[in-house]
Amino acid sequence: MDFYFGLLQIIGFHTILGLSAYVVLLTGQVTMAQAGFFAIGAYVAGMLTVLAGWHIVPAVIAGGFMGGIVAGIVGFPALRVKGLMLVVATIAFGEFVRLFFFNFDYQIAKGKIMVGPLGGEGFRQIRFFPENGWTTSDVALFVWTIVLIIMAALWWVDRSRAGAVLRAVGEDELAAQSVGVNLTAVKVTAFAAGGFIAGVGGSIYAHYTTHIEHLNFGVILATFAIAYPILGGLSNVFGTLAAVLFIQGFLVEGLRFLGDWRNLLFGALIILVMNVRPRGLMDERTMQILRRLFGGGRESTGA
Amino acid sequence: MEFLDYVQAVADGLLFGATYALIGIGFTLIFGVMHKINLAYAASSIAGAYLSLAFAAYVPAPAIVVFLMAAVASGVVGYLIYLFNFRFIPLANPLATLMATVGSLILLDEIIVHETDGMPLTYPALFDDVYIEIGTLGLRGDLMFVFALSLVATVLLLFLLYRTRLGIATRAVAQQPVAAQLCGMSIQRTNGTTFVIAGVLGGLAGAMIGASVGVLSPLLTLPVTVKGLIVTVIGGLGSIPGAIIAGLLVGAFENVFQAMRGVTERDMYVMLLLFVFLVFRPGGIFSRSVARD
Repeated sequence: MDFYFGLLQIIGFHTILGLSAYVVLLTGQVTMAQAGFFAIGAYVAGMLTVLAGWHIVPAVIAGGFMGGIVAGIVGFPALRVKGLMLVVATIAFGEFVRLFFFNFDYQIAKGKIMVGPLGGEGFRQIRFFPENGWTTSDVALFVWTIVLIIMAALWWVDRSRAGAVLRAVGEDELAAQSVGVNLTAVKVTAFAAGGFIAGVGGSIYAHYTTHIEHLNFGVILATFAIAYPILGGLSNVFGTLAAVLFIQGFLVEGLRFLGDWRNLLFGALIILVMNVRPRGLMDERTMQILRRLFGGGRESTGA
Repeated sequence: MEFLDYVQAVADGLLFGATYALIGIGFTLIFGVMHKINLAYAASSIAGAYLSLAFAAYVPAPAIVVFLMAAVASGVVGYLIYLFNFRFIPLANPLATLMATVGSLILLDEIIVHETDGMPLTYPALFDDVYIEIGTLGLRGDLMFVFALSLVATVLLLFLLYRTRLGIATRAVAQQPVAAQLCGMSIQRTNGTTFVIAGVLGGLAGAMIGASVGVLSPLLTLPVTVKGLIVTVIGGLGSIPGAIIAGLLVGAFENVFQAMRGVTERDMYVMLLLFVFLVFRPGGIFSRSVARD
């Protein structure tokens, strides 16, 4: 049973990571920086619970805010360029954050052992959950509460005026600008929101693994972050969830019996899906069909 | 560190930077024609170098033939990437193409890991016993050869682009796809050819990286991808002279900082250099004026 709760936790924080990229992708910006914000959240929240002795909830919120603030600061220069330049700029930022933590030492003695981040060796002993007697099911519940809050918030934003503005910028910047949308404000806000969500995800991830190191937050994690929403489709938040379930549940866990052939299949499947369904697994048409089947088809997709 | 050490670091870096320049040219060439980025490009270059090693395992060949085989193999891989990632995905879906090339990057990487069990393989080099001393400054022979070969490849590419019918077609499709089609050029064939040309260059770059590092390892693909992209942006997207200068610049820059601050911090300064360029010269080295939106 613990195995399945563990899997639920993994799917949970990968969903959060995917949603953080989803917000930014709505505005048409491809960000490869989410792994960087994830790392910032992980290290900040880990240091707060381990070194400062905070409770997990404020630590997660602080990790999120740190990610959001850094995203806001980086967003201003980075979002001056767009499209492919932005891809490169955000890759560089993510790598910069990773290399920063590769060179980052801050250790204090706690009892008999030294705790805290130690450069290439990483940050060990982030043991808030075991120290406070949380079982894996408690942790899974905690993770999914946060996932559901974020999904509900994004679902609500999507249907409000703010969501329409985000999508307007994503579809056609010039048209959005000419009806009075402030492009920079919208993009930086979306970027900061993405940074916040990624920071929250990272905070949870750090406490899930209990040991983080810079190698966990490389370019591959960043590509996973944008792979979820792109593979799932940008029509709504459930596409991201579906993609995470497909990749983490089916490809990574379900096909474990294939050994290292699984990794070969992963790349090939991405290529295949993008050739067959360029707008994602759950694109607008699929959503309409699903709606007709289950919801009586009273509302438009909003996308 | 003394002044001479800096000069030595710059010289070594400039020589190695030639490989970055080749990778950067490949990225920029594909971007110039398709207005899309091929994230699998550096991986296909390394894959070409691996394929040439596989060839050398069956047929004993001198190093120069191995290098040429890398170029040929990488050209083939480049065409396959075009076929599976660009050819059938609608133009209106840039995200899908980007994601598909990421898939190819992961796939190529995993094939290499699968076939070699993740172990690094030694790669042949030329002139690695030559060491030219100018006063107290020393130049490694193998790096000089890498530099020279990269220059030759660049000159050949520029000749191809500006002095042949194929080059005219490539540039025409890049500038006005519809008009080029009306004049009877096949967009698909031109795009495919561009991928092959870029692949050939990349294969040479992969071989040169293998020759100057001494080994090929799957760990090379991601750093080379990142460096190549940085070179492309610093040089200005679509600008070949920019990519050449930026490649040399990044090579020299990272080598100086490696000498000063050590290998773990080296790449941080390269990223900072990129950010400086993004803020002050977002159009690249040779942009005419700072274009803002």
